[in-house]
Amino acid sequence: MSYLVATSLEEALTYLRDSGGRARVVAGATDLYLKDLPHSLVDLSALPGASVIEEADGLITLGACLTHASAASSILILSRATALAEGCMAIGSPQIRNIATLGGNVVNAAPAADAAVALVALGASAVLVDTGGRSREEAVEDLYVIFNRSAVDSTSEILLKLTIKSCGTGEGSAFTRFAPRRALSLPLVNAAARVRIENGCFREVRLVVAPVKPAPTRLLQTEAMLEGMAPCEETWRLVERAASEEVEVRSSLLRCSARYRNHLVGVLAARVLQAASERAREEEGVDGR
Amino acid sequence: MKTDTGTVKVPIGEEKDFQSAEIWARVTGKAVYGSDFSLPGMLYGKILRSPYPHALVKNIDISGAESLPGVRAVLTGAGLQCKKYGIAVDDELPLALEKVRYIGDEVAAVAAVDPETAERALEAISVGYENLPAVYDPDKALEEGAPQLHEDFPGNTAWQRDLRRGNPDAAFKEADLVVENKFTIPAVHPAYLEPISCVAVYDPYNGLILHTALQSPDSVRAIVARVLEMPLSRVRVIGPAMGGGFGGRVYGNLKLYIISSLLAVKTGRPVKLELTREEEFTVGRPMVSASIKMRMALRRDGKILAREADIITDNGAYSAQAPWVSKTLSERNDSVYRLPAVRTRLRLVYTNKVPTAQYRAYGNQAANFATESLMDMAAGELGIDPLELRLRNCTREGDTTVHGLQIESCALSSCLQEAAKEIGWGSKKEGRGYGLSAAIHANGSLVFDKNFRGSSALARLELDGRVTIFTGEQDYGQGTHAAFALIAARALDLDPQLITVQSGDTLSSPYSTGALAMRQTTIGGRAVQLAARDLREKITRLAAELSGQQVALEKDILAGTSGVPRDFAAVAYYYHTLTSGLNLTGEGKFVPGPADYDESGYGNISLTYSFAAHAAEVEIDRATGALTVHRLVAAHDSGRIVNYRSACGQVYGGVTQGIGMSCYEGYLFDGGRVANPSFADYRIPTSLDVPEIVPLFIETEDPAGPYGSKGIGEIVMVPVLGAIANAVADAAGARVTDLPLTAEKIYEALAGWECAD
Amino acid sequence: MKKQVIIFQLNGEPAEIHIDPAKSLLKVIREEFGLYGTKAGCGKGECGACTVLLEGQAVNSCLIPAGKINGCSVETIENLSRGEDIHPLQKAFAEKGAVQCGFCTPGMIMSAYAFLKSNPRPQPPEVRTAISGNLCRCTGYKQIEAAILAAAPEMDKENKG
Repeated sequence: MSYLVATSLEEALTYLRDSGGRARVVAGATDLYLKDLPHSLVDLSALPGASVIEEADGLITLGACLTHASAASSILILSRATALAEGCMAIGSPQIRNIATLGGNVVNAAPAADAAVALVALGASAVLVDTGGRSREEAVEDLYVIFNRSAVDSTSEILLKLTIKSCGTGEGSAFTRFAPRRALSLPLVNAAARVRIENGCFREVRLVVAPVKPAPTRLLQTEAMLEGMAPCEETWRLVERAASEEVEVRSSLLRCSARYRNHLVGVLAARVLQAASERAREEEGVDGR
Repeated sequence: MKTDTGTVKVPIGEEKDFQSAEIWARVTGKAVYGSDFSLPGMLYGKILRSPYPHALVKNIDISGAESLPGVRAVLTGAGLQCKKYGIAVDDELPLALEKVRYIGDEVAAVAAVDPETAERALEAISVGYENLPAVYDPDKALEEGAPQLHEDFPGNTAWQRDLRRGNPDAAFKEADLVVENKFTIPAVHPAYLEPISCVAVYDPYNGLILHTALQSPDSVRAIVARVLEMPLSRVRVIGPAMGGGFGGRVYGNLKLYIISSLLAVKTGRPVKLELTREEEFTVGRPMVSASIKMRMALRRDGKILAREADIITDNGAYSAQAPWVSKTLSERNDSVYRLPAVRTRLRLVYTNKVPTAQYRAYGNQAANFATESLMDMAAGELGIDPLELRLRNCTREGDTTVHGLQIESCALSSCLQEAAKEIGWGSKKEGRGYGLSAAIHANGSLVFDKNFRGSSALARLELDGRVTIFTGEQDYGQGTHAAFALIAARALDLDPQLITVQSGDTLSSPYSTGALAMRQTTIGGRAVQLAARDLREKITRLAAELSGQQVALEKDILAGTSGVPRDFAAVAYYYHTLTSGLNLTGEGKFVPGPADYDESGYGNISLTYSFAAHAAEVEIDRATGALTVHRLVAAHDSGRIVNYRSACGQVYGGVTQGIGMSCYEGYLFDGGRVANPSFADYRIPTSLDVPEIVPLFIETEDPAGPYGSKGIGEIVMVPVLGAIANAVADAAGARVTDLPLTAEKIYEALAGWECAD
Repeated sequence: MKKQVIIFQLNGEPAEIHIDPAKSLLKVIREEFGLYGTKAGCGKGECGACTVLLEGQAVNSCLIPAGKINGCSVETIENLSRGEDIHPLQKAFAEKGAVQCGFCTPGMIMSAYAFLKSNPRPQPPEVRTAISGNLCRCTGYKQIEAAILAAAPEMDKENKG
């Protein structure tokens, strides 16, 4: 195998192009040994701006090679995209969080990847560039083909950065998961939400759960139902039922039964909405003072 | 009735905290574990395993593998002349001969110059299989017409036991209350962190050396010598540092040792074999799973009249120690309470799954889960406080239990009361669940090997006045060496820092069955105590001889009038000169009398018994069933504590393993395939999953153990299961009887769901 | 198998190897440099026994391809002691009963070392999180937690001194 730590985007793209599909892009490389090793690898983690965290005009830009640990401890992400910080903190272990990247979490395309679930709830976009020099921007949830397969072809396309509209006045986000163990564990269900509260009512809710489909899944019907509703006990009860009814999940010998998972989807959806709405109201209160 | 003599001792202060010398290498990363060990010219072995759960081996073509450059040996069952061997029963061959019985069964082995070449050699071997019907469920394996695994064991029954004491029928007839339930406990793995490995070295003049870390090197040595038909003195086992054992390395992975030996004999080169983590789970040896139908008869006042159990344990494809584990599972827990009558039926059943062996506490914890759950069910039905019900029935000092165990020291009732007090039994918090559980565990066995009931040790005086203890008991971090140094130090009046404990080489150590059955401190410790005393006598005698006057030994100073050697070194050197080179050596031979033990297994099987009561405080999230264990109080009667630091370490670690078994761990099978062979999916507790653990030592003065001490290493995990199960039932108002107690199962019980889909 | 030259810092000294870049850092440390203090427990990032510091951060060396360490600094357990002079963490682990079989110990100490460098005055829950990627089967983590808390002021003193 040959291994290139690319120092410029041009170098990386040229290498991929010249390799004719035999080279693959890698960032944290934590899942490298789980699959067949490719002929060669292009490591993106040293690219300029690969780990950037910046905000301009209400838009947060994150380098695709930002590690989970860096994202989880960023004041900006903690305050303006809280769900992502929480999702990043939930993954694996400190060692994994120190090396695994946001881009990898998306392109690896695991159905219940914690950071990806948070990104989809936050409405993140992915900025991609391919070996032909074409650039595109896609919603993160549109980057999934089937279970564990991304629409990003790692032999010819690079996920450069992720952008998120930062949470402002009256907005809040949250992430939660349910796992059999408190560390080193995949979730049975995870959920994330981004909400805006206006005059005490939900507006523009994004509610995401996984694993349901290949991509982190928005609960569009539940979201629609919530429009205009107030965050209160009655609402959480309705959300619990609506979310459970909206999804069809699978049984897994290693995780849990479909029935239980379905139940958890409802509980977690309600909890994550509640957490997000409490943050939104804090924001509303702070900014309105 | 005698009352308990125990006193509470919370281990604070440093007075009996001692660390033996191995620690230096371990904290600096310099300790050499089996997986770190290599020798010049060493070959790497690999094993080809069956991909099928049950199949005939029709043909094996090894020509492709043999012709690969770098391959030094290829072995198949057909090329060997080994007889069947085993631990409890002889049902294994080093490599499969005619058929394979589980996914992972050893079919062929290679040795090559590096691991990659060995791997390629495995790929070059082609095996023709003819699939046979397989059976995975022990109930089905017992049915007429089920696929048969072993010709020698018709009906797939590897071992069985039918046991009756007293008159259970009459007891159940006169009972005011009968409680019953069915409990299931999955196979669990010791999950020591270092996978097993072995480097075998052979030459025809010097015989065979195995470099592998074992809890019982002498037992493995004897089996390897028998299988390879070598004289015992030609087989030596040397132990590198051991990355955890917990019963899993008593016999370790015998296949691995035998195959590496066979490869070393064939190639004349050192051969290293090691298991991957995945192999540890798929071909390593978990403890048997059990299904226990149990019922208990009680009088209205809470007096237990009898208990009955119908138990099936799942052996997997081969037996290892599963019959012995099954035996302990079927009886030990019966001595926690005063049971007038008992009936037990146990069948150990072959299935086409991973073979099983043992784990810390030897099945006693599985029985604890069942019995203690029933105790709380009975308490609820009778309207008696669970603590009170236990106190009314618990075994006490002076008792002879239903199986004939003679209880010479016992603070069980104090353990129960202190554990309950510490958990806040009288002032329970709203929204929390509380559970109690009690346990007994033997200190070694007088009947396991009737010709070897005790232990022996040598205490050798070095020329510089230090002392070396040679023992066959093994230390792998649990504190045996530290305990022995402290015991010898007390017997010799010597600073324990001046005492080195040596074990782990069968050439220089006295024989022992090793680190198992909680025998080391009590039985091994007695031998060390005797050896040190013997040495002390010899030292004073020689000092007197040397100086021609009466000599007394006090605080490692030899005292007399003038002209007496002041220290041990002078005596050591005197003896050295006198004998032209020998070291003065004390011998300790601790040989307990034979047990009065009958055919049915009635009798006093152990030197003495340790007791414990645990109390758990838990909380359940009623929306999800998620369980949080907040606190676990572990009250132990392990006699006088030799070393508080190690004793606490055993409690913390053992309780944590108990929490793992209660809440997280267990094999999952997809047909015959292990579905969770990794640390990601076989979930042992992480640092975030362990509650506050409070060790309490209720110290009795045991007449048998050295300086009143008893063992602690295994009993620590026994009561955890019952305590947590009862606390969960208390919090949830519904009982889960299938381990582990996952959130899903707790939620199902809360929601009244029939079963998982 | 194609080999590449990898140049990096190992325990404060320059190191250079000619190696298949797909080989794991764990194998590089053990097999190429003979530093066997870093342990192999699972090979899949699920136990933490192989924890080393890469650019000052705790990572699972079993998951890092050698190609990735080019130009980086790597620190292993062997760097923490010099002769009889052992690190405050090692001393605390020895004194507090934090070590039983010892197989998880090097990785555990490296996680604690990375953690204490950036958190000189930690709270117990932070310590538990910091070692949550290091499985220990022997100790139940209690005496490990105590050792890390005990070592923190000593290590802080040493760093400042």
